[in-house]
Amino acid sequence: MTEPGSGPGFLTLLLEFARLGLISFGGANLAEIERVLVGTRHWITPATLANGFSLGQLMPGPNMLSVTHYGFAIDGWSGAAAATLGFYGPTALLSAAAALVWQRFSTHPWLVAFRDALLPFGAGVLLAGALVLAQTSIHSWAGAGLALAAFLILWRTRVNSVWVVLGAAVLGAVLGL
Amino acid sequence: MTSSPLRPTSAALPEGAGAPQPSTPAALFRVFTGVALSGVGGGLPAHTRRAVLAQGWMTDAQFAESYTLAQLTPGPNAVNLAAMIGAREAGGLGALAAVAGILCPGLIVMLGASALLVGVGLPPVLQSALRGAACAALAVLLTAAIPVVRVALRVRGGAVLSSLTFLALGALRLDLLPVFAALVGAGLILNRPRRVPPHD
Repeated sequence: MTEPGSGPGFLTLLLEFARLGLISFGGANLAEIERVLVGTRHWITPATLANGFSLGQLMPGPNMLSVTHYGFAIDGWSGAAAATLGFYGPTALLSAAAALVWQRFSTHPWLVAFRDALLPFGAGVLLAGALVLAQTSIHSWAGAGLALAAFLILWRTRVNSVWVVLGAAVLGAVLGL
Repeated sequence: MTSSPLRPTSAALPEGAGAPQPSTPAALFRVFTGVALSGVGGGLPAHTRRAVLAQGWMTDAQFAESYTLAQLTPGPNAVNLAAMIGAREAGGLGALAAVAGILCPGLIVMLGASALLVGVGLPPVLQSALRGAACAALAVLLTAAIPVVRVALRVRGGAVLSSLTFLALGALRLDLLPVFAALVGAGLILNRPRRVPPHD
């Protein structure tokens, strides 16, 4: 995407992706990732955002490995390293610390209240991410139909989502989406 | 850590009779690499549960508690869960090993794919294929949201707060931190601890 050396620099990327990781609740915060990486910073295009997100669904392990793809698109290998370390490092550290604290204070009334306050926020974040992904990846009625069909299959059956994503990729190639 | 007079502290005693398998950082790395490989396309928490129960590291109740907590801390749930189980089992090094284990396989594949796709650009057929995959990826995201929304709706004010979060971040594209402060603050007030009978 960018020429080598013209990227925003390792530290800038590391800090930005650390911020994106720390404000992801309930999984991915795609809305904020799109707002910052595509909108404010213009580091990646909407097409790269959508491509990376679908690639993430096909990878073994957590599907937010798409951040590694975004980092690579921004600044090559160093960008990929900065994005991965920044996105996963601080949140993992926080989780490990939280696990140890929780073992001692899990019944504290304010911790319970905080959990209850965080749950609806996490749900809203996920739904906002779905809206943004729909806006960046669905450009036709065929695409919308494909998304709906995939949703019904995933919702109603126990098919592994990789097969659904791969099947949609084949259909996309055939239909020339 | 009190030393019983009948039992010399220098004796290397096991953690207890019928103690679970030792969970060294190396074992954590190995188990979570396996979890990542079996969890292509999601279902990671389920694979994690099966793996740690099989190792005898945790009971089902302990796992459920860790899982709830992993959903509450920011960041990807599956990685958070790995960090938490690693920390519980073997401290900081354990957390590091578990996170490295769950990230490694996908990281290698993703770096390969990125190197191929970003430098060269995509032929039209592959571009069409990825557009199709993106439609399914949206469906994956929506199905992942269903259980989270369901739980959120049971919380006091959950429906209103979820909808407001969705509107503020998805439709209005507002900055996340002020929205977080306002809506999680409101949630805290709504769900503040009240005087309840001690038996809950």
